[in-house]
Amino acid sequence: MIRLLAISFLAISVLASCSLKTTKGLRQVSFTKSEVENPYFSNSEIDYVYKAKIDFYKKNFGGILIIKKIGPMNHRVVFTTEFGGKLFDFQFENDTFTKHFVIEDLDKKFVVNILKDDFKLLINESAEVLSVYESNGERIYKTQSNDDFNFYFLGGADETLQKIVSTSKTKEKVEIDFSIINENIAQIIAIKHNNIKLTIALEKFKKE
Amino acid sequence: MSASEIASFKKKVIATAQTTKSIKTDFVQFKHLDFLSDDVKTSGKMLFKSPNLVKWEYTNPYQYSVIFKEEQLLINDGGTKSKVDIGNSKLFKKLNQLIVNSVKGNMFSDTDFTVSYYKSPKYYKAVFVPNDKKIAAYIASFELLFNKDDAQVFEVKMVEPSQDFTRIIFSNRTLNSTINDSAFSN
Repeated sequence: MIRLLAISFLAISVLASCSLKTTKGLRQVSFTKSEVENPYFSNSEIDYVYKAKIDFYKKNFGGILIIKKIGPMNHRVVFTTEFGGKLFDFQFENDTFTKHFVIEDLDKKFVVNILKDDFKLLINESAEVLSVYESNGERIYKTQSNDDFNFYFLGGADETLQKIVSTSKTKEKVEIDFSIINENIAQIIAIKHNNIKLTIALEKFKKE
Repeated sequence: MSASEIASFKKKVIATAQTTKSIKTDFVQFKHLDFLSDDVKTSGKMLFKSPNLVKWEYTNPYQYSVIFKEEQLLINDGGTKSKVDIGNSKLFKKLNQLIVNSVKGNMFSDTDFTVSYYKSPKYYKAVFVPNDKKIAAYIASFELLFNKDDAQVFEVKMVEPSQDFTRIIFSNRTLNSTINDSAFSN
């Protein structure tokens, strides 16, 4: 009986791990790279400034997203209105999250946790590779963050980061798409949630 | 500034505000955050029509406009239009009133602020510090800089409790030209 239970648990967990769409039908390949990197917010000399449009359950909010690497493994992420008033001001240093400021209306655990997770995923510079998959010229690097898995999609000969998909063991949760990339800056970034109706669209300020 | 200087300065600002029926002006906005290498710069045009219609239109580096109309904010974010009711938000109403009054310069009768006055060879400066704790959580002070000759506001500075600030500098101002109400629809 116990053996039967163990087998069925095993079967369930195997089935469950197979149910991720992200890696469905993909071929696992051997790899040499131990770390996968996100270069888009890694230059401490650049002020990363984006116009942001947030769509939350059909409500639209605009603003300016400002990201700055202020030290090794240390980023400041500030969101302001178009008028310049701060909506939130976060700091990510190693695994320490600091909430410097959040306006009252947004200062709810549920909201802050979503924002914290999204921006941590966005700015995280490198992650240890667990396994690698391949499909149509893309290499997909599987990494782990606490209980979640983050899949980094790299494409082209120079292995440009095009997408990050964050999943639980069984479900896709968040996808970040990077497009129009030059000199390690993504001009367009889209953050899409699968389990809640939230999208964040970012467009880099143009140089004067 | 001495008491008599303050009195004559206030009189001048109020007189100017009363004769100002409309304002068209360009503006440049600088958002200063201490950790950034450069201030975040945006610019556009502002329209004001007496008594309380205001439109801020950002044109660079993106298209974004906000119209303050009655109890609503009409927003056009690069083609995405939305409305925000501010009727039941006391804080928002206060901020809206501040914006309208700061454009006109006439904020001296506002009991929600403690005002102090300064002068330089080129301008007068009025610094407004909020008495209300809720407003003080967002704005440490609000500074208006006035031209000495015509008592018009040429710069607004909002300082946050963190000491980060936003500066808006006006230029190419046209006073009392005809502006149709249709300019204030989304």
